[in-house]
Amino acid sequence: MAVDLSMPVLVVDDYQTMIRIIRNLLNQLGFKNIEEAKDGRQALEKLNGGKFGLVISDWNMEPMTGFELLQQVRASDKLKDTPFIMVTAESKTENVIAAKKAGVNNYIVKPFNAETLKGKLKAVLGEF
Amino acid sequence: MAAAEAALKIRMAMEQLKATGVRERPLVEVLDLSHQMADAMTAFFGSLDKSIIGEFRYLADFIQQARDEISGLQANDIKDTRLPGASTELDAVVRDTERATESIMSEAEKLMNIEATDLVAYKADVDAAMMRIFEACSFQDLTGQRVTKVIAMLRHIEDRVTKFADALGVTDSAQQETAEEARKRELLLNGPAVNGPATSQDDIDALFA
Repeated sequence: MAVDLSMPVLVVDDYQTMIRIIRNLLNQLGFKNIEEAKDGRQALEKLNGGKFGLVISDWNMEPMTGFELLQQVRASDKLKDTPFIMVTAESKTENVIAAKKAGVNNYIVKPFNAETLKGKLKAVLGEF
Repeated sequence: MAAAEAALKIRMAMEQLKATGVRERPLVEVLDLSHQMADAMTAFFGSLDKSIIGEFRYLADFIQQARDEISGLQANDIKDTRLPGASTELDAVVRDTERATESIMSEAEKLMNIEATDLVAYKADVDAAMMRIFEACSFQDLTGQRVTKVIAMLRHIEDRVTKFADALGVTDSAQQETAEEARKRELLLNGPAVNGPATSQDDIDALFA
């Protein structure tokens, strides 16, 4: 089944520049419905208020980190099946393993390139 | 004469005087006992002075050395000039970097949205945008200089503090973890690794394969 490129994608990062980079890359790949949040708490509010086909989140944010957001999403009956990709500078193996145990679908370490993002999107969502 | 020995001699002399009654003793004997007490006390205070003076001299030297080291630390210079200076430079680095990033990204976004119907106009637009991107990249020269200044300031502070700690034999006491440190540890907030990612993307991909 083809990926619905009109599905809402939530990009979560406390750096507007990184949101802009991911938004532009997603636009280039054909995703047109992109929303943004500046931390885990704001992201959770948006997720609970709508239906998103994908979450792309940074880890290191305050007051709620991306890891906490992932845990909250997986603990929620409504949100638990939402695909979740972590995009972060947290590159220690313990971080990757913790995120995998918490249910992350894929993990991108910063800095990354367009091909890496595209590859992970395909791995999580399927071909598009 | 040791302090204990002097004290014993004085006590014995006093007890002897009390036991026999000072009024009944011949003046010569009382004077003799007084001399013994005076000798004992002189010896006692002599020995006391030597050991205590030595201790006080050591303490005075140590305090003087500490004062010299504190003065050498130039704590006011660090607090009033160097740390605020470093902070100002780093603020400027963040500001310059943000400004340059904004310029570069705006130009890149404009390029992505240019209609390539007229190739001559398109080439002119691309060339102009590229020149503005090159200009924006000049921030690296300034930020490099600013960061170099901050590194020099931090090295100066490190040097002063190290000398101070070495001179006074300062050792670190055990510190209790703050709530913020505990939160960072629990949520694995390590921040970026210094020399590239701690785990490569390929190794991460292997964990998800």
